[in-house]
Amino acid sequence: MKKSVHSDIPLKEAAHLLPLGAGFVMASSADLRAALGMSAAVFLATLLSAIVISGLRKVIPDRFHLPIYLFIITVFVSIIEAVMVAYFPVVVNMLGAHLAAVAVSAVPYRDAEDVAGMSSEHIAVKTALETGGLFTLIMVICALIRETLGNGSLWGVSIPILRDYRVSALSGAVGGYLILAIVYAALRSIRRRFTVKKEGTE
Amino acid sequence: MTAEMILGILLAGLLSENYAILHFLGTGAVIENERSVKHSLIIGLGTTIVMVVSTAITWPLQAYVLESVPYLRTLVFVVVVLLVVEAIHLLAGTGLEGLCRVDFTKFAINGAVLGLCIHNTEIPYGEAVLTAAAVGIGFTLTMAVFPSIREKADDTAAPKAFRGFPLTLLCAGMLALTLLSYG
Repeated sequence: MKKSVHSDIPLKEAAHLLPLGAGFVMASSADLRAALGMSAAVFLATLLSAIVISGLRKVIPDRFHLPIYLFIITVFVSIIEAVMVAYFPVVVNMLGAHLAAVAVSAVPYRDAEDVAGMSSEHIAVKTALETGGLFTLIMVICALIRETLGNGSLWGVSIPILRDYRVSALSGAVGGYLILAIVYAALRSIRRRFTVKKEGTE
Repeated sequence: MTAEMILGILLAGLLSENYAILHFLGTGAVIENERSVKHSLIIGLGTTIVMVVSTAITWPLQAYVLESVPYLRTLVFVVVVLLVVEAIHLLAGTGLEGLCRVDFTKFAINGAVLGLCIHNTEIPYGEAVLTAAAVGIGFTLTMAVFPSIREKADDTAAPKAFRGFPLTLLCAGMLALTLLSYG
């Protein structure tokens, strides 16, 4: 994975993780409620595990870092899952196995690996916040497009005008890939324009 | 289980229920794969073995132990997957790592394995193990085929903003469209 390919979208340190998290982004962005639920789960799992791993990084032996990191991430995901089952059962039904799969997603794991190599805890927390923030932004944008245009609804509420003209494919698998590609390209394009403008003023 | 049912499950795992492309489980591993066909097949085979063995262990655990403590399911399943991966790693030795040029323990970081174990708790045991094998084979073929498809896409012909990852996603979307036609 070449970091330079993804360095022209916002939050470049977190951007290189986007291809690894494309699965759960696309899986959850068919509905805005699911997208917010998944983004909250990823955000909290990444942040909490970053805090714990940055504190324990000097104690964990290299040979066992993968299973220990995964265990820490899974503990937090299990807690988040239990809370969501209790308070947001509709969202849990929509997410299905993808919520549990965050525990073995490369996103919190790679973030944990990056965090373990950092010199201080506050940088680790900042990195985790960036990662969670980026995924939240992208999931919400994708969900807004896919649910309104693909399902003719927003937050589960049917919108009569859109209902008659919805494009069902957008709420399916193909729509996931298409919309994420467009959103990613748009963010990259916006970032490039800001970079060019900034260089121009300098 | 009739022969028709077995064939149906195998075809579903390969095509219409392809986990990586249609269910978005393990998608990152497939779309990020830039290895040769041979290495991809080896990694896919390893993942298939992990899927089958993990399903064989997690199904009875869910049925007889975890029914009363559902909040421990994810944790127990991840631990089982980690142990299975470590066991295969010990049995296969460093020879296999040399063959596929990847850290074998990375097989544990695959949403398809955990997602499959969770989905398979809802079907009978025999079907669950067969489904695991079918999904594993489907995952293997997708891993082997996708880099070739991606290579055919000409980055220079696409607008700048679409080069690289967005074009990869569009290729995966076209593969998804193809697989959906078998549904």
